[in-house]
Amino acid sequence: MSVAKPLPHDAARLHVTGQARYVDDIPTAAGALHLAFGCSKVAHGTLQSLDLAAVRAAPGVVDVLTAADLPFANDVSPSAHDEPLLATDSVHYVGQPLFCVIATSHLAARRAAGLGTAKIEPLPPIFDVETALAQNSRFEDGPRIYERGQANTALETAPIRLSGQMEIGGQEHFYLESQAALAVPGEDGDVLVHSSTQHPTEIQHKVAEALGVPMHAVRVETRRMGGGFGGKESQGNALAVACAIAAMRTGRPCKMRYDRDDDMVITGKRHDFRITYDVGFDATGVITALDVRHDTRCGWAQDLSLPVADRAMLHADNAYFIPNMRVESHRLKTNMQSATAFRGFGGPQGMLGMERIVDHVAGHLGLDPMAVRERNFYATGAAAPPQSTHYGQEVDDFILPGLIAQLKDSADYDARRAQVDAWNAEHDVLKKGIALTPVKFGISFTLTHLNQAGALVHVYQDGSIHLNHGGTEMGQGLFQKVAQVAADRFGVPMAAVKITATDTAKVPNTSATAASSGSDLNGMAVRIACDKIRNRMAAHLAELHQCNVAQIRFEDGYVITPAQSYTFAEAANLTYVGRVGLSATGFYKTPDIRWDRIKGEGRPFFYFAYGAAISEVVIDTLTGENRILRTDILHDAGASLNPALDKGQVEGGFVQGAGWLTMEELVWDDAGRLRTHAPSTYKIPAASDAPDIFNVALWDGENRADTIYKSKAVGEPPFMLGMSAFFALSHAVSACGPDYPDLQAPATPEEVLASIARAKGV
Amino acid sequence: MYNFEFVQPGSVADAASAMAGEDAQALGGGQTLLPTMKQRLASPATLVSLTGIADMKGVSAADGVLTIGGATTHATVASEAAGSFPGLAGLASHIGDPAVRNRGTIGGSLANNDPAACYPAAALGTGATIVTNTREIAADDYFQGMFSTALDEGEIITSVRLPIPQASNYQKFVQPASRFALVGVFVAKYADGVRVAVTGASEEGVHRWTAAEEALSANFSASAIEGLSVAADGMINDLHGTGAYRAHLVGVMTKRAVAAAS
Repeated sequence: MSVAKPLPHDAARLHVTGQARYVDDIPTAAGALHLAFGCSKVAHGTLQSLDLAAVRAAPGVVDVLTAADLPFANDVSPSAHDEPLLATDSVHYVGQPLFCVIATSHLAARRAAGLGTAKIEPLPPIFDVETALAQNSRFEDGPRIYERGQANTALETAPIRLSGQMEIGGQEHFYLESQAALAVPGEDGDVLVHSSTQHPTEIQHKVAEALGVPMHAVRVETRRMGGGFGGKESQGNALAVACAIAAMRTGRPCKMRYDRDDDMVITGKRHDFRITYDVGFDATGVITALDVRHDTRCGWAQDLSLPVADRAMLHADNAYFIPNMRVESHRLKTNMQSATAFRGFGGPQGMLGMERIVDHVAGHLGLDPMAVRERNFYATGAAAPPQSTHYGQEVDDFILPGLIAQLKDSADYDARRAQVDAWNAEHDVLKKGIALTPVKFGISFTLTHLNQAGALVHVYQDGSIHLNHGGTEMGQGLFQKVAQVAADRFGVPMAAVKITATDTAKVPNTSATAASSGSDLNGMAVRIACDKIRNRMAAHLAELHQCNVAQIRFEDGYVITPAQSYTFAEAANLTYVGRVGLSATGFYKTPDIRWDRIKGEGRPFFYFAYGAAISEVVIDTLTGENRILRTDILHDAGASLNPALDKGQVEGGFVQGAGWLTMEELVWDDAGRLRTHAPSTYKIPAASDAPDIFNVALWDGENRADTIYKSKAVGEPPFMLGMSAFFALSHAVSACGPDYPDLQAPATPEEVLASIARAKGV
Repeated sequence: MYNFEFVQPGSVADAASAMAGEDAQALGGGQTLLPTMKQRLASPATLVSLTGIADMKGVSAADGVLTIGGATTHATVASEAAGSFPGLAGLASHIGDPAVRNRGTIGGSLANNDPAACYPAAALGTGATIVTNTREIAADDYFQGMFSTALDEGEIITSVRLPIPQASNYQKFVQPASRFALVGVFVAKYADGVRVAVTGASEEGVHRWTAAEEALSANFSASAIEGLSVAADGMINDLHGTGAYRAHLVGVMTKRAVAAAS
């Protein structure tokens, strides 16, 4: 069995020796050219003219493109056709590409790009939520509203009622490899694009539109990304399209990679949210009614904002049954980078809002927030029929009570909470906090048709296996997990399986590697393809040996018939000589899902993934400085395909989530310029910011849904475990005074200090 | 980079004459100047490297004064002043990262007078004397607002003389991304009084907190400044922190420094 083994990442050796090849490492033919965008310095205005004479005259410049030079579609939007590659008559944010320099080197292109000047007649920009609402600057006609029960009526009759508001900051993806693309012109108008993208099919689609050619003329290949996190779902389009156009225009290979500052200024980030709530509950903390409002700044283009904001609404319950619940979501159009996909895709913001409400209710009642959590969990166990979410999906796999009981026990939660309270009673300057937060995350794309995947598997006559599927590798370990599936189906060692780059010419019409679905979808497609070939091999050998197909086993590198054992290579060769095809495609679509996003009703998720984390923190009440002292995590990956890789995802997810909520802070100035556009001003967590004591374990259980080897998706759900650090900070601050700390995110030292003042009532 | 002349004189006199040339610029460790040139924010015609001048290097203590050559790196100060002036060695050992500490020099730092740099706090906090090729300047006269000093065009810091205090400490609240000082406070206790210098916080650059000096001169303990507060007016208000937060941190860092020095 190759599945369930904790094998290292397939490219780990290449990563650590520097041999792993990223887009910028691919050798190019002589004469290759390099691209850079010249960008708007104005947040909103009418583009009157561009003066590019100095750009054209700069050393190394071969050509300069403006919107007027583009041959066909001038659009790199993944959704609403509202993102021109190069600005036409108006500009919508600081950093919007206005023109594209083609030069003999990366540096020459960047330097020349700085020489262009744009005459832009400024228009009043929209940056904040209030202005956007006042001017009705939004995507869709009005707010989306999902409701179950009668929230407002139930609020009127609730024994206790509280309201509040929380600001939640955005987040830069900070993938180590910045955006990159390389286009190589072929014959007869064909083009090959190497792209650092989570979505090769989207790149193919947008390049074809931009070149005015059918998709068959465009091949996109992606071997790996140096991190994606959702930031390469749509944001790579501009580079790939620009390179393809330049390659066709010059007849030379064209490459583009964003410098870090350019990447941060040009590309979209996680959506920030304002969560406003009105909650009704009783004296024991049972929540009976909730009216919650989301206001999110989507930036200048629609991009993926609608499904992101939808997913925030779908996770506004987190793990709690709230009989009367109303969620109202406003998706605001602002003159900033187009906010985009980021690990969790809105889920974290919606979930954090709910956990904040629980924390507030507990603070009001003077209860351990964990008690309030447990009183509001979805029903579970044989005695209780499943309850439905506010959008009508039955929660029929709710394992959190058992999972949390195990985590509390292993991390000694109850005793440690008492110890923290005792410690706080004795210490004035430093205060500790501890919190347990649960995660329930829905798995599947909410756009139902995306829940499909394809695979292509060849067995060569020497028994070696070529594996290809539509998923992309961004460091998460997808390729290894899927290769483990293939090796298991054929009963061969891992070395027999060659992992190959994602390629739109091999598997067409793929979905983005996103929504945590990579292993679920592509693992199944590969299983189906492998089983087709295996069944053909078995049928051929059964005929040779006049035995039953069911008697033939594929094990330990052998194909075993009742009469004789063959090595897998011998069996493959026999099958080949017998003139039986050894290549197959596989296709999979997720069953049992349906969703009406306008009504907010259906079963959008195949299943839920669960997890819980306990974090203990300490704060310095004089400065607001804080540290995570210890974190214990128990996470549900179903029957894990690879516990080592899955644990890696859990650890990385937690650290990234905690970074989002405690240190990563995006700052725009009054002119709409992003001031945090480099690692010197924007702080992501480093290894030293991980908890000193960091116990991560996987829940021992199978997925009840019929997924690949009963595993569960693990890409996004652990990100939200970082909430435990945030609410541990809230707990620590609450030890400083009688009032609710009203902590906002990110909880930077300055924010923690301000919340201490609120807790003290000063 | 673009083309420029590079000279590396072996003596202060040669350096001074090289500095008389048009658009000449002294180069210490280059930790600020070279990135500035790469950004095209400075484009001197000639760089006069001071790192080849043996007379401008080294750390020596005599008669209660620590003398540091202007071209001495932070790493050298961190190791060689550890015995004689641990408060200063501690400051030097936490500037930037190892690469910066092995290139950057005390003269370069003081000549640049970055509002978030560490060394200006030590120079002002000790009442140091800035020695140049032409004169001696008291620290109280030397710092003239952010990025501004009493240095004349072409003047070279050859050494810095710092009176060694009875007790001292530097506390820095770092901006977490760059690890520059959001607020840094140097406290030095002498027989005739206490000096407190603050870096990072003020729009005026490094400055003394005289109210705290008076209180600490009477009673050198953290509790002595309990009732004092710093006004937020004039404090830097930027993406890394508000003026009010910086003003608050000045008090906290001063108390920490006093506690660590006591």
